[in-house]
Amino acid sequence: MFFYGFKFISLQATLSHSSDYNILMRTIIIGLGNPLLGDDSLGWRVAEQVRLQLNLPSIGWYQSSTADTQPQPKDQREPNDHPESIEVDFLSLGGLSLMERLEGYDRAILIDAINSGKDSPGTVTVFRLEEMPDLSAHHLSSTHDTNLPTALRLGRSMGAHLPYEIYVVAVEAKNVYDFTEDLTPSVAEALPLAVQSVINLLSSLSP
Amino acid sequence: MERITIDPITRLEGHGKIEIFLDPEGNVANTYFQIPELRGFERFCVGRQVEEVPILTNRICGVCPEAHHMAGAKAVDAVYHVDPPRTAKMLRELLYSAFYCTDHTTHFYVLAGPDFVMGPDAPVAERNILGVIHKVGLEIGGKVIQMRKYGHTVVEMIGGRKVHPCTSIPGGLTKGITEEQRQEIEKMGRWAIEFAQFTLKLFNGLVLGNKAYLDLILGDVYSHKTYYIGTVDDNNHINFYDGKVSVVGPDGVRLGKYAAHEYTDWIAEHVEPWTYLKFPYLKKVGWKGFVDGKDSGVYCATPLSRLNASDGMATPLAQVEYEKFFSTLGGKPVHQRLTTHWARLIELLYAAERWVQLATDPEITSPNFRTIPTEKPTEGVGIVEAPRGTLTHHYWTDERGITTKINLIVGTTNNYAPISMSIKKAAQNLIKKGNVVTEGLLNMVEMAFRLYDPCLGCATHSLPGQMPLEVTIRDANGNLIEILKQNC
Repeated sequence: MFFYGFKFISLQATLSHSSDYNILMRTIIIGLGNPLLGDDSLGWRVAEQVRLQLNLPSIGWYQSSTADTQPQPKDQREPNDHPESIEVDFLSLGGLSLMERLEGYDRAILIDAINSGKDSPGTVTVFRLEEMPDLSAHHLSSTHDTNLPTALRLGRSMGAHLPYEIYVVAVEAKNVYDFTEDLTPSVAEALPLAVQSVINLLSSLSP
Repeated sequence: MERITIDPITRLEGHGKIEIFLDPEGNVANTYFQIPELRGFERFCVGRQVEEVPILTNRICGVCPEAHHMAGAKAVDAVYHVDPPRTAKMLRELLYSAFYCTDHTTHFYVLAGPDFVMGPDAPVAERNILGVIHKVGLEIGGKVIQMRKYGHTVVEMIGGRKVHPCTSIPGGLTKGITEEQRQEIEKMGRWAIEFAQFTLKLFNGLVLGNKAYLDLILGDVYSHKTYYIGTVDDNNHINFYDGKVSVVGPDGVRLGKYAAHEYTDWIAEHVEPWTYLKFPYLKKVGWKGFVDGKDSGVYCATPLSRLNASDGMATPLAQVEYEKFFSTLGGKPVHQRLTTHWARLIELLYAAERWVQLATDPEITSPNFRTIPTEKPTEGVGIVEAPRGTLTHHYWTDERGITTKINLIVGTTNNYAPISMSIKKAAQNLIKKGNVVTEGLLNMVEMAFRLYDPCLGCATHSLPGQMPLEVTIRDANGNLIEILKQNC
């Protein structure tokens, strides 16, 4: 069956991207997870810390009662060279919904808890989505729908502008099955490293 | 047979586990189905202001936050003994109808579609939405995405956020909609009706027109004669947002209907020592074990149940499909569980029609969307139909409205006993006299599980063919014969 020019309707109000100009890549950083499910909240916490350190506005909503969201003093924050091209959001979505959220961006960094069982809790790994070792990063795997790689292929096949550079910063979690706003200590200790991993990753990538 | 203790203390994390025990002849005697569950939610809510709970319940699991929010909103209204104005109820139901269209669409094309459209024997690599699109055409993929966008847009307009609404407060909503929004919502709803009709036509052509699929659907493997429940309005037509819960026996005779606050007279929970999850059953019939029949209190809550438990659909196009469903399948009630996928599409059409009905009601844009509560909070129950089953929220508070206790019966919990029975039947079909047909066993078991559209721990993180699952088979002495695993 041939596909004749089906238009993928953009969710973004305006899209400033144009292939005629050498403009900055639009990057979205998304903390994934359930803020009520113990270690599953780490994605949101890390994303919030990244947002504060880079002095970025949030287009999502996150409010935590814990101390780890206290902003750093101004002089300790790294200057942000491209503030207008990076956005931060917080989601409890996966699969198709997550793909739909990525539409319009050139690059994405997804921060999530992972339950590979292979590493000790608190281990931080950074990889590109296509290198993902298995489907155990929960929200990338699915939330009652398809997994993200499949969803991305679907979106692209319909002409959606989706990022080709998708990085995952994953932290091995211990407890993601009990409702609590607390992190396992070994996971809590890994948060600064995870935050730094995101910032290092951003610095290493071309604008 | 020797007694084997299955220790539920070992928390299952990440995958479902099925233990199959054979009798001395090598046939299936019992199956035990354990899944990892999310725990402690009830405890987590204690001490919080009860108005906060519908926002927290959004996050019980990622599958139907809208349903939990609605059940929670209704429970909070009941706690405060306040009746929201008609406009508020309509707005909530409108949001809910749009959500249903999104959810049922996603389920059919992404989860059921691969099982059906590709066939259960299709290679795992093809049994996903891409395989479906490849078979039915790319344009359809675009329509699925469009349906989701429209549904999410309506939820956001009325609920304040996509997917996780937050505008319900005791007595109504924090905001209404403008005429401009109403027009947009109506337009999207009319598109949804066309899309639902298109999907039903697709199903007719691809599935009902194919003898192999039809045989599978009508076959006995996934058939159980249990009770069926579903919420209906005063005319006994299905309503997802409000009404009374109708209970109908396996013979089609209605046992009765109950209002939200009466649920404890009807539903009790049975405990088994080998699993933390309890098994709800009908109190008036009693727990007789994992068996079918009029004397067994096991019941089912799914789209199929809702069709069985009602006398019809409240909207004209869906009513035509309802009648066709039962006349094709030989009358009411229908027991073949795979027909749930068809029932779901009839509900999709109803939800779209209801969307337009509500969006064109003159009072939908009224500024009267809240009644301020005046009574002291005590206790209340809210029931809605989640896409995957009747959802009950029961909250208790002190006189300040601080939560002291909550009890939830979520959609899939209603079906825990039927799911276990379906799995056993699937296993019995493939294990005879000690011969295990390993090829396809995991798949058949997963299909049994999946047709209930479950929202349990491991199932929320997997897609067809990739649900993390471990099946162990033991002989009559408890010795391990075989372990089958996928994705764990």
